[in-house]
Amino acid sequence: MSTSANTIPVVEMKNIVKRFGTITALKKVDFRVDRAQVMALVGDNGAGKSTLIKILTGIYPPNGGEIYFEGKLVQINSPRDARDLGIETCYQDLALVNLMSISRNFFLGRELVHQVGPIHWLKISDMNALTRSALADVGIQIRSPGDRVGSLSGGERQSIAIGRAVHFGAKLLILDEPTSALSVAETRKVLKYIENAKARGLPVIFITHNVHHVYMMADAYTIIRHGEKVGTYQRGELSENDIADLITGQRER
Amino acid sequence: MEGLAVNARLTWQREARYLFAESSIAGPLFTLIFIFILSALFVPHFFSWRTVSGIVNAATLTGIVTIGVTLLMISGEFDLSVGSLIAVGGYLFGQQCARNSPLLGLALAFLIPGLLGALNGLIRVRTGVPSFIVTLGTGFIFRGAAWILSGGSMLQLTDKLPIYDAFSGRFNLLDDLLPDANFLTSLLWLLAAVFVFQYVLVRTRYGNHVFAVGGQVEAATAQGVNVDLVKVINFAISGALAGFAGVLTFSQFQSMRVASGSGTELSAIASAVVGGALLAGGSGSIWGALIGVLLISMLRTSVVLLNIPFIPADNFEAIVGVTIVGAAIFNNWVRQRA
Repeated sequence: MSTSANTIPVVEMKNIVKRFGTITALKKVDFRVDRAQVMALVGDNGAGKSTLIKILTGIYPPNGGEIYFEGKLVQINSPRDARDLGIETCYQDLALVNLMSISRNFFLGRELVHQVGPIHWLKISDMNALTRSALADVGIQIRSPGDRVGSLSGGERQSIAIGRAVHFGAKLLILDEPTSALSVAETRKVLKYIENAKARGLPVIFITHNVHHVYMMADAYTIIRHGEKVGTYQRGELSENDIADLITGQRER
Repeated sequence: MEGLAVNARLTWQREARYLFAESSIAGPLFTLIFIFILSALFVPHFFSWRTVSGIVNAATLTGIVTIGVTLLMISGEFDLSVGSLIAVGGYLFGQQCARNSPLLGLALAFLIPGLLGALNGLIRVRTGVPSFIVTLGTGFIFRGAAWILSGGSMLQLTDKLPIYDAFSGRFNLLDDLLPDANFLTSLLWLLAAVFVFQYVLVRTRYGNHVFAVGGQVEAATAQGVNVDLVKVINFAISGALAGFAGVLTFSQFQSMRVASGSGTELSAIASAVVGGALLAGGSGSIWGALIGVLLISMLRTSVVLLNIPFIPADNFEAIVGVTIVGAAIFNNWVRQRA
């Protein structure tokens, strides 16, 4: 019994079709992520990887196909639906509101409140304290939870977005190009947080067109090209060069 | 006991910090004080209660409108229809006053402009047309509605109702206390509205969503904030406050014209910007809006009192223009330092 529970994938997308007008962005794509797996979703710019993820996170409705989350068929119609299922997404540089403080960002959309009639008072002190301790738990030190996010570096921002997702008990963490705007040192730091998340048993989807960033870390790679799935490969099956060739189409399967 | 007092003070200080520190009003406040000191020193007859109360009274009506416009601007939207909604609200209130039912008039003056504001918001979020364009158009439409409501004629009442004094009458408490002062009770309504909306903005979940929607709409959406709802509510608030400004205007003058309030939409945006709100959204405060309105009103008065030959009372707009540009540049500079 326990083995069968473990073999149910966290998420399984079947025959996903997405059209924008006359253009078919995704042609019957299958995609699955298993428990405690870091799945790299790789493809060139415009290959359809972001579109696939936006369907999973409720931003786009698909034109066809099914999504199973933890074995159950689900309808994801809005980002809220996705989050209620435990799917947390960090979009590259769009995850946080730069003009707002760290703690206001951390709790955005699930503020700690004290409700009086129709009014939801923010518990700002509690949110500040919790932000600091929650980020410390995942290994991120901040100066002050009241600092504006815009005053932080790109790596710090990305770390906070990841820390937020981990803290709020995500069942699946999606990172959209998390390292593409970062320096080498910052990238290393962010990759470390992802490893921490994986060590906690959290499955991660890592979207990138830069194979180098994920090669050492991913357990498996799903490659997409021109809206079609090229294939899913386990770690060690392919070299870094093989993956690059599959992304660009210099090699077929 | 002492511990309790200290505790209470700490709580109070913390509250004050949340209300002030997070709203970046340092720049506007500094400018206001600076201009006040300059005017007090160099402008004849400026430093008197008569002048100060005149400045405050002139700022009140625009101030009420600016609150809504600022809230909307923080969420990344504009409202150019508020000037017309002042007239709509003023007529709705005045016509009911003429039938001796001012409370019904008050309710209508909130409700109808509020609904028209919500309509602005719905058009904005459903069609994706920028609010600048939507409200430019609806502003003309609402002005037309005011014409239809009034038959195009001016409404003037001679009978005084007690409710006028409550909204915009002599502020006895202050005026008896201060020599030559001429404050109006509308000041109380302005301060109450400023306090309520500043609190809503920085201390409630809704306020948090307003900042997020204007600051980075993708992030807000991804965190499950209902962006469209926030915007429509802000448009409704903006409309309702413009309607209320119509009530205050009518209470003060007991008259209303179809053209009443026109131009207020731009003064309100100017005040919001002078008060530190970002045109692009995501930043600003209601305190700042209040400071912005007072600053512009103060400059207007100073310029008139200075009696400069080529800038008489009817040419003070040139000075206001200089302030807007200057204040915006100065606020940007302060923001970058902070």
